Amino acid sequence: MAPPARPGDAAYANIEKVNAELFTLTYGAVVRQLLTDLEDINEVNKQLDTMGYNIGIRLIDEFLAKANISRCTDFKETADVIAKVGLKMFLGVTGTVANWNQDNTECSLILDDNPLVDFVELPETCQGLLYCNILCGVIRGALEMVSMKTEARFVRDVLRGDEAYEIRLKLLEHLPEVLPYKDDD
Amino acid sequence: MLIGSGRSKQFLNVVDRPIGKGKNEVSLSAFAFLFSELVQYCQTRVDNVAELERKLESSGFGIGLRMLELLCHREKGNRRETRLLGILSFVHSTVWKALFGKVADSLEKSTEHEDEYMISEKELLVNRFISVPKDMGAFNCGAFVAGIVQGVLESAGFPARVTAHFVPVEGQPRPRTTLLIKFSEEVVERDRQLGG
Amino acid sequence: MSQVYNLFVINKSGGLIYYKDFGSTAKLDTNNSLQLASVWHSLHAISMEFSPVPDCTGIEFLEADNFDLHCFQTLTGTKFFVVTETGAVGIDGLLRVVYELYADYVLKNPFYEVEMPIRCELFDYHLSNHIRGGKDRPTGGSFR
Repeated sequence: MAPPARPGDAAYANIEKVNAELFTLTYGAVVRQLLTDLEDINEVNKQLDTMGYNIGIRLIDEFLAKANISRCTDFKETADVIAKVGLKMFLGVTGTVANWNQDNTECSLILDDNPLVDFVELPETCQGLLYCNILCGVIRGALEMVSMKTEARFVRDVLRGDEAYEIRLKLLEHLPEVLPYKDDD
Repeated sequence: MLIGSGRSKQFLNVVDRPIGKGKNEVSLSAFAFLFSELVQYCQTRVDNVAELERKLESSGFGIGLRMLELLCHREKGNRRETRLLGILSFVHSTVWKALFGKVADSLEKSTEHEDEYMISEKELLVNRFISVPKDMGAFNCGAFVAGIVQGVLESAGFPARVTAHFVPVEGQPRPRTTLLIKFSEEVVERDRQLGG
Repeated sequence: MSQVYNLFVINKSGGLIYYKDFGSTAKLDTNNSLQLASVWHSLHAISMEFSPVPDCTGIEFLEADNFDLHCFQTLTGTKFFVVTETGAVGIDGLLRVVYELYADYVLKNPFYEVEMPIRCELFDYHLSNHIRGGKDRPTGGSFR
């Protein structure tokens, strides 16, 4: 059963907020820094994903500590929680989940609003840039810490002319718990 | 180029969209995690603490340029500051409010050097969750904010060197952060001629 | 607020990453605390095997003559546990606050490497304030 939208709103209401412009401009500074340092667009995309992953593996604990969410029973619930509670709690926006595949291991996370990209326009030289790729890494990193190995990638991007931001999220496998006393000698 | 915040979608050309009032918000945590990752990334690209400071400053610089444009347009009806105190006041109040939701704790002129001013904050927002290890000496992640201020000042026509420092405060368990602003000679001279 | 003797934080591999005592008469030295944490980690895992029903989340509370031990394991595998006076109350709430402080002052610190020992001044500061002062969860920047 999907959690109601309320937990996201409640969580967001209680946390400390900052001006989105500070966030947007800082993210812009990060992307600019990477473009200067790395030059190759594909490398930048990869680095954004890596940085997102590094954030995700830490952010998950804050999410669990503050969102008052119990363990998700299945991947469907997980996706809903990301869209309705996770995104809301951190970015102040809600996403929708759609386009499930047959065995419920793959879906789309759709965002209309995205505070990372306010007023960004991709110049000619950066057409292959996945500007918001950091989000894919965040989701992937966060889920890995709760034993889910996933793949996340942008399939629609407003900066490239699409109507919305769409991340295709795929569950690859559940990672088994490592028990300390069962050594493979 | 990033010039501001807005949610309207019906304009085809990004520069036609209204820039909005800048009242949208995200969680402090989102910013803190992003900033933390920026610092970590910069650490991988430098060899020592001094270089880390420079790199953070230069990251902030680009933000400063953009903040000046955005705020001049939105808050000041494109009026330009020509006096030193005017631009400092702008940084201390308008820029601070836009970025951090409050005016800076204090703005002071150095008693020892004519070209130096200080903006201080009990605790910079960017430092809220950061504990600098002892082996990094006096390093302050506020270098990022120093870069922002330098960006604002330079693009406003007041070239300066801005650096961030921890300053212990008597009776307080934690030091405050002071941004030391050292204006270039030409700025000081020009301001004097204008009747400073 | 009930007396808390000490706090342990164990990473998901069972390594002790934080130990602090709050004035207990029998302070543990480093080696002892490392060993104890490691044993507790194994014990906690074993306890889940004893459960007759699936989805057991391990030991949460241990009661002894002279102390109580409360343990909280996050969904990410990190364990926070405290040794308190017998009959201590409000410890669940305390452990949740410690988790939040960890999410704030440890995980948001760019100089902290995940899974490594915690050496974050602000974490110590806010933790001590909370346990010694018995205050409510401090909101940001409240060391005024």
